[in-house]
This record gives sequence, structure tokens and C-alpha cells, in this order.
Amino acid sequence: MLYALMGLGLSLITGVLNIPNFAHGALFAVGAYFLVTAVNAVGNFWIGLLLAPLGVAVLGLVIEYAGVRRLYAAGHDYQLLFTFGLALILNELIIVIWGPVGISHLPPALLRGGVDLGFTFYPKYRLFVMVAAGLLVLATWLFLEKTRYGAIMRAGIENKEMVSLLGIDIHRLFTVAFAIGAFLAGIAGALTAPIRGLSPGMGVDMLGIAFVVVALGGLGNLLGAIAAGLLIGVAQAVVAAYWTEASTAVIFAVMALVLLIRPQGLFGIR
Amino acid sequence: MAILETQSLGKSFGALTAVKDVTLSIEAGSLHSIIGPNGAGKTTLFNLLTGTFAPTTGRILYDGQDITGTRAHRIAHLGLARSFQRTNVFPAFSLFDNVWVAAFATARSWQGLIYRKAAAYPEAAERARQALSDVGLLPKADVPAKAISHGEQRQLELAIALAAAPRVLLLDEPAAGLSPEETRRMVALVRALKGRYTIVLIEHKIDIIMSVSDHISVMHFGSLIAEGPPAEIQRNPDVRRAYLGGIAA
Amino acid sequence: MRALVLILVSICVLPFIVRPAIATEIWIFAIFGLGLNLLLGYTGLLSFGQSTFFGSAAYVAGWLLKHYAINVFLALGIGVGVGALSALLVGYLCVQRSGLYFIMLTFALNQLFYFIAYQWTTVTGGEDGMPGIPRPDFLGLNFKDPLVYYVFVSALFLLSLWAMKRIVESPLGKILQGIRENEVRAEAVGYNVPRFKLLAFVIGGAFSGLAGVLYAMLFGIVPLEAISFVFSGNVVFATLIGGSGSLYGPIIGSFVFIWLSESMSVVWARWPLLLGVAFVVVVLFLRGGVVEAWSRFWTWQSSRHKASANPSAR
Repeated sequence: MLYALMGLGLSLITGVLNIPNFAHGALFAVGAYFLVTAVNAVGNFWIGLLLAPLGVAVLGLVIEYAGVRRLYAAGHDYQLLFTFGLALILNELIIVIWGPVGISHLPPALLRGGVDLGFTFYPKYRLFVMVAAGLLVLATWLFLEKTRYGAIMRAGIENKEMVSLLGIDIHRLFTVAFAIGAFLAGIAGALTAPIRGLSPGMGVDMLGIAFVVVALGGLGNLLGAIAAGLLIGVAQAVVAAYWTEASTAVIFAVMALVLLIRPQGLFGIR
Repeated sequence: MAILETQSLGKSFGALTAVKDVTLSIEAGSLHSIIGPNGAGKTTLFNLLTGTFAPTTGRILYDGQDITGTRAHRIAHLGLARSFQRTNVFPAFSLFDNVWVAAFATARSWQGLIYRKAAAYPEAAERARQALSDVGLLPKADVPAKAISHGEQRQLELAIALAAAPRVLLLDEPAAGLSPEETRRMVALVRALKGRYTIVLIEHKIDIIMSVSDHISVMHFGSLIAEGPPAEIQRNPDVRRAYLGGIAA
Repeated sequence: MRALVLILVSICVLPFIVRPAIATEIWIFAIFGLGLNLLLGYTGLLSFGQSTFFGSAAYVAGWLLKHYAINVFLALGIGVGVGALSALLVGYLCVQRSGLYFIMLTFALNQLFYFIAYQWTTVTGGEDGMPGIPRPDFLGLNFKDPLVYYVFVSALFLLSLWAMKRIVESPLGKILQGIRENEVRAEAVGYNVPRFKLLAFVIGGAFSGLAGVLYAMLFGIVPLEAISFVFSGNVVFATLIGGSGSLYGPIIGSFVFIWLSESMSVVWARWPLLLGVAFVVVVLFLRGGVVEAWSRFWTWQSSRHKASANPSAR
């Protein structure tokens, strides 16, 4: 479900701005670290959960405004490289600010312990994350499908020229899309923090998976990204049960296989 | 003898039918024009002929052989060359390189593709020079394509198609965006090419069509509505209705 | 000609300015950059996963050198082969797609190889890398001497440069550039574009593989980073900073990058941060790289002279 969240955010950014956001994984990591800092500062998980992704969204705004937008004229390659450089900077900044060692963070008291599902004992927090992420995906989906601005955004993915010809500020659209994507990455990160702990490398790992989700779901195909995210999440869980080490590599292998058979991804249109 | 034929050719994009049941026969050595109002499906027809799109229905025959479904990059090797409506050249290349690349593609042999110098292929170089000379651009051979005027770029557009030494030329609005003077030159150019090549021409400008065509097919909403020599087409009431006063008869 | 003389001079002079190991690293990275630039500068394909081929070649050749004591030239041959083969596999999946998809795929497949290397600790050593790679003697040449190895690598670099020069001046070079300039027209005039892209990929992979083996032998270890996306980004950065528009750009880029990373890494363990900043700065301000900045500087200079010589012309 988290993968769906990441995939959705990345697909949005990629679809609207037409660049693969290499910093997406870093934004995920920053979200997690922001959460830790926020909780330590405020003492309340829930407030932290709200503040952290907002912080990441703000960061996203700054990134888009200071860098991506300025490079709009230079072409996609340069915007891409900018996000790559940014990923490096953010990853290193995390180590500088929070240290190179992993941190662990416990879930809030309300969600500790497990739930007896009959056939297995499932951690309460994970359940919460699934539900929360699901709601977020749903909310984003509704925003994009039902609201006017969401429709504009989807139109922007399909045909940027048309949208700007219709008098809509295309640059503002980009900024908003980036901010939303960053928010989704940030909250995904914040939600993940109590599950597996934090480490500086978590952004990089997630970036690859997010790319796979978007590649499988079809570029700019938001529903596809969600579906692919779910699929991959499930697939990884299944593989992890039998062959833990290979679980992440398998994701990429599956992607390679799918693309061989269907170059447009599972849901892409071509 | 028909060198290029289509049989009930059709192309649909989902619910949109761009080309419907088009049966054409192009005589070798003739200049056959395809006209029709905007959106009639002319460029789509070209795209079908050049393998850019695969047809939904029907067949394409070249020299009697069924070439339906041949992929775009194979078409040039068969002897069909195309020029585009929107100028489609290699901007950073010199004019010479623009045509050389096209000439080399259909050269007899690609031996030494990776290690021989590009200058060591006399056949391609000769064809390239000839193509530039045919359109009158040889003096500017070393100029980069992005530095020449729009009119000259349309000439280059034509030269790239010629460089493949094809048997059939598919020209999509070669006079698009040209001034009257430039248009006159383009018409003279096309007329000079008649006979050496079979030419299929899409054009909007009626004076060009009437003055050079041996045969005209008129398309409207994806189907053929009329066919015949220029004089007949001019008198045809269906054609006039289709254009709705767009042509000065 | 001038460029060649400059290069020869720098080959001779370099080991006296920096440690032979760093000098060697510069030429190795230049070979890596040459391979990438065939894709990036000439074909217009931003491949973000070149370290896949570099790292794979390094691991395979390193393994054989370590456990089967093969000789140097066999190792090089295998490195080139592995680089080319892995590029064939990756390229085949990637060239079907263009633009964004292509870039993302090269990256994602890079990550696949990275994870395999990370997990397959019995062979690759995972995070610790694969140490203990020898530099065996050959034909009486003692490669363990840093200077001897430096000369060997420089010679291979010159060979690679010559090969790449032949390739870009050949019809293939023109065709690839044509694909970069106008893919649609290139196809229309009769080129099977995906196949040519694949060819460029394989050649680029071969160069990357060569660089990988030399790297493994230089440091005696194949670190996990050699197959990471950061490493892929490094060579992209180096090539861009040197200027992707010219054959020699990657060489300049290699100098700049290695000098930057080596000097920064002794100062601060967090030097990738500065690298990222440098990256961002270059992207924002110095787009054509050093080569373009240099030519822009000269144009500006000459226009200044003209203006000062002719004040009335203003």
C-alpha cells in the first residue's frame, strides 16, 4: 500500500512535469526523519505525522521553485540531473544532521502490539499504515478525479500545451503537482518510520521501487501506478515469506520480465 | 502499370475512423495528387503507406507485392521515399550530412559501418550531391540545416527524400508555408522530377495541383469521393461541395 | 591534432603532479566517460545505469582474477565481453522505450544489478565489496608497480580514444547523431532505430566494462559503489561537465570529477554532499560544460577586442 502511495506521488510528478524525480526517494527519507524530529519536539505522534509531510511538501515547493522551474527552458535532461544532484545532497544532509547510524522509532502507544486476525498475529501499526495509506491514496484519487483542479492536473499530464492555451498557469500547476507528490512521499516516509526504523539509505532503496511502480503502471497513469504499487507490495510480501534476501531484487526482475512482454507496462497505453 | 496500389485501405483509432475503404491505383511514372479539405485523412493515408501506422483493414501493394504491415524503416529500402508536411530535417547537421544520412541508409552495402570513415562511400556521397543539386542547394552543402531559411528547408526536405534514390516519392504538402515566389520554384522543381519518379502528392494549393497532376484523387472524411484527370475534377460538383468554396474553380 | 598533443602531454606529466593511482583513475574514468558519451552526446540517450556494466565487468573479471588466476589480457577481454553482454541485456529492454521511460528503466535495471550484488554476499561480498584482486605480471611486466600500471592504463586509454574516434567518424557515428537530431526522420529514411540504439548501448557497455576491470585491478577491490546509481550519476556528471558535445569532453570531465572527488574526500567524509552541490551548480549554470564555457569565453573575449578596437562602431 505504501508502494502505491509512492508510486502515485512519483507518477504525478513524472506525468505532469515530465521528469523522473530522482529526489523522490530522498523526500521519502526526509519525511521519515522529519517525523522523528517533530515527535521529539512536540511529543505527540499524531501532530508529528501531520507536520512531517507538510515539511516535505514545503521542501518540495522550494525545490520546484528554485531549481526545476528555472531549468524548464533547458530541457528535461537538466531538470532530471537537478533532482539527481538534489538526491545526493539530501541523502548526505540526512547523515550530517541525524547521523549515519540507523534510528529506530516506536509507534505511538495507541498502536503498539498486535491484532489477532485468527490465522496470524498482525502488528497493529502495520494495519494502521495500510488503512492510512489506503485512505490517502483514495483521497488523492478523489481529488484528481472529482475536483476541477484535479481534472486540470490530469489534463496537464495528457497535453500540456492545451492546458496552457486554455489560460491556466502551467507553471503553477507544476509547482502544485510537485508539492503534492512530495507530500505523498513525505507521509509515506513518516508512516514507515516506526515499521522498520530509519536509515540514511532508505531513500535510495525506495526510489528504485517507486520507479518500478511507475514503469509498470504506465507513465502518468495514476490508476495504473496505484494498481502496480499494490501488486508489487503483495508480490514482495509473498516472496519475502519464502526467500527473504531476494525479495527486493525480485521486484526488479519482475519488472524486467513484464517490460519484455509488454513494453508499455501493465496498464500503459501504447 | 500500377506501381503502388491500395485495396480497401482503412485506419481507425478506436472510435475515430481516419481512413475508410480507400482503393487507389498509382501508375508508374505519373504524378498522382491527393487533395481534400483539412482532416480528410490525407496524411494518415501517407502514414499508412509508409508503415508509420499499420492499417486496420485493407492491403497495400507495391510492384504487385503485398507490403501491408511493413515497418517504417523497411519502406525506404523498398524504394518509397517520403517528405513531411512539417519540416523534418536534422537541424545540427550540414545540408550535405542531411542528405548523406538518407543516401547511406539505402546504399548497396553497409560494410565497414563502424570503422570506415564516412567519406569512404562514394555511392552515397554521389547520391547526396545529386539530391542537393536537384533541389538547387548544392552551393550551401556545408551550412547547418538550422541556419537556412524556411523555404530552403522545404527544399532540403525534398532533397532528403530524393537522396534515397527511390522509385516512388510521397510528398506531403511540399509547398507548405512557402511564399508565392518560393511556391513557384517548388512547382518547377516537382515538375522537373516528373517522369524520373512516380510522385504521389498531397497538396492544398489548387494551382499547383492543376498544373502538375496527371491524376487526382479527392478525399473527404477519410473516403475517396472523386477520381480522375484535373479537368474532370474541376467540374465535379461533389468536390466543390466538399471544399465549400475553398477552391477557386 | 592539438587535442591529441595536449592529451599526450598530460599523460606524461600527470604522474608527477598527482599520485600514480589517482592519475590512473583519471584515465580509467575517461574510458568510462567515452562509453557513456556515445550514448549521451552522440545518440542523445541519457543512460542512467552505466555502472551496471562497469560493476558487472569488475565483479566477474575480479572474481576470475582472484580465484582462477587468469592473466591480465584475458581479464580485460572478459571485462569488455561482460560489459557488452550486460549492455545487450539491459539495452534490449530499454531501447524499446524513449524519453523518460528509457531513463527510468536504465536506472531501475541498475538497481536490480545493485541489489543482486548486495545480496549475493558469497560472491560479491555485499557491502564489503570484493577485495583481494591481484594485478598479475604479464610478459615480464610488473603491473604491481604503480607507474608501470599507469603506463599500461594510459596506453589502453589511447587505444580506447582511437577506437571511439573511429566509431564517431564512421557512418555509425553519423547515424547515431541522426537519431539524436530527428528520430522520426531517421526511421523514415530507413534505419531500424531501436537496433541502432542497442548497438550504441553495447559499444558503450564494452567501454564501461573495460574501465571496470581496470578499476578493479587498480584498487584491488570491487566496492559495492561501483555498481550503484551514484556511480552512474558520477559518470553522467563528469561527461556533462566536460561537455557532451565533443569527443574529448569526457576526458576533461574525468579530470574535473576525479580531482574534485579526491580532494574533497580527504577533507570531509560527507563529500558526496559537495559533489551534489557541484552537480546542481553545474546543471543550473554551466550547461554546456567546460568545453562550452571555454568557447563562450573566447567568443566574449574576441567580441570585447572588436568593440574596443572600434569604439565608433558602437
